[in-house]
Amino acid sequence: MPIDRELLKGSIALLILKLLSERDMYGYEIIQESVHRSQDAFEFKEGTLYPALHQLHKRGYLRSEWRTGENGKQRKYYSLTAAGRKAARRSEQEWFSFTKVVNSILSKAHS
Amino acid sequence: MTHLDRIVSRVILLAKLPGNKPRCEVEKELRAHLDDLAEEARSQGYDDEAAARIVRMRFGQPEEVAAAFASVYAPERLAKRILQSAILVTASTVAVVVAIGTVQSIAALCTANSIISTLRDIHRELFGFAAIVAGYCSLYAGERLFPTSLARTLLPSVTLGLWLAAVFGWLIPQHGALPLVAFMCAAFGRLLQRVEIPLVWLAGTGGPLLIAWALCGPLISGWQFPWLVWLGLTISCKALREIVRLFERVFVEDFA
Repeated sequence: MPIDRELLKGSIALLILKLLSERDMYGYEIIQESVHRSQDAFEFKEGTLYPALHQLHKRGYLRSEWRTGENGKQRKYYSLTAAGRKAARRSEQEWFSFTKVVNSILSKAHS
Repeated sequence: MTHLDRIVSRVILLAKLPGNKPRCEVEKELRAHLDDLAEEARSQGYDDEAAARIVRMRFGQPEEVAAAFASVYAPERLAKRILQSAILVTASTVAVVVAIGTVQSIAALCTANSIISTLRDIHRELFGFAAIVAGYCSLYAGERLFPTSLARTLLPSVTLGLWLAAVFGWLIPQHGALPLVAFMCAAFGRLLQRVEIPLVWLAGTGGPLLIAWALCGPLISGWQFPWLVWLGLTISCKALREIVRLFERVFVEDFA
């Protein structure tokens, strides 16, 4: 089932931080990984990932560098800074608290 | 230009990124992403046309991406605008002081007055210099902010003019008229510089002064038309036009 775009927009920073906490990635790779892990449920306009990456970079959560891949293509890889790691942990905790509250409301509404 | 280039160019054009470096970075990054998308579509067996359609669909509207970039870089853009405005106002003030100082020095020479005493008193004309710069630059700001509507182009000048009238009326009630007339002359001068007929703009610097002189001549200069003031205003407007042109050449990327 596709996920609502607005819902996705609000959580894109968390997804980026979480994925980058595992390894350095470039934009296209972040999208591939998100789509793969969500089992194709994520359908967002890929161009909008880059402003989000730049925003996080400006906040000091990410650093970036151009690297040349095996096929000779240059790609801009992003990695987390120390502040980014903290922000990733904080955002993840906030997300779990939020979903817990929403789930508890929804489960009571169903019962 | 390929369809991928067109998408990237559209984003770059609309995003108004502050400076060359972020522009080149974003351009290169988006281009690499679009290449990957197109390659993925082709590897799935789509022809070039279908691949282009898929790229457009997956990437999203360039306008939407540009708006998101514009919002990310809004503080930097604002800071750059403020800095550019400060440079323009400073250069304009220097140009006006030099222009009027030169006119007054030449007049002093012609009338066998002392240049030193003339220039020593030039600070008394501070309100006049500020008014000329404010009149000219506020109209220029109107042109940049609202290029398609004349009424809206005039809006910053009219608003600033009313504020200055109140400030001059309060600070220098006896002598508030002349800086206000200078303000109007500079603003009308700039307005008529947009007309492509040579020398028409001279009527802009002369008109308000002529009206003010006809209505209250003795308050300004007695019953003799203040030619020297008009000359100073006209040369100032000419100098300001060159300053504005230079400004647009230096910051060419923002005026493309």
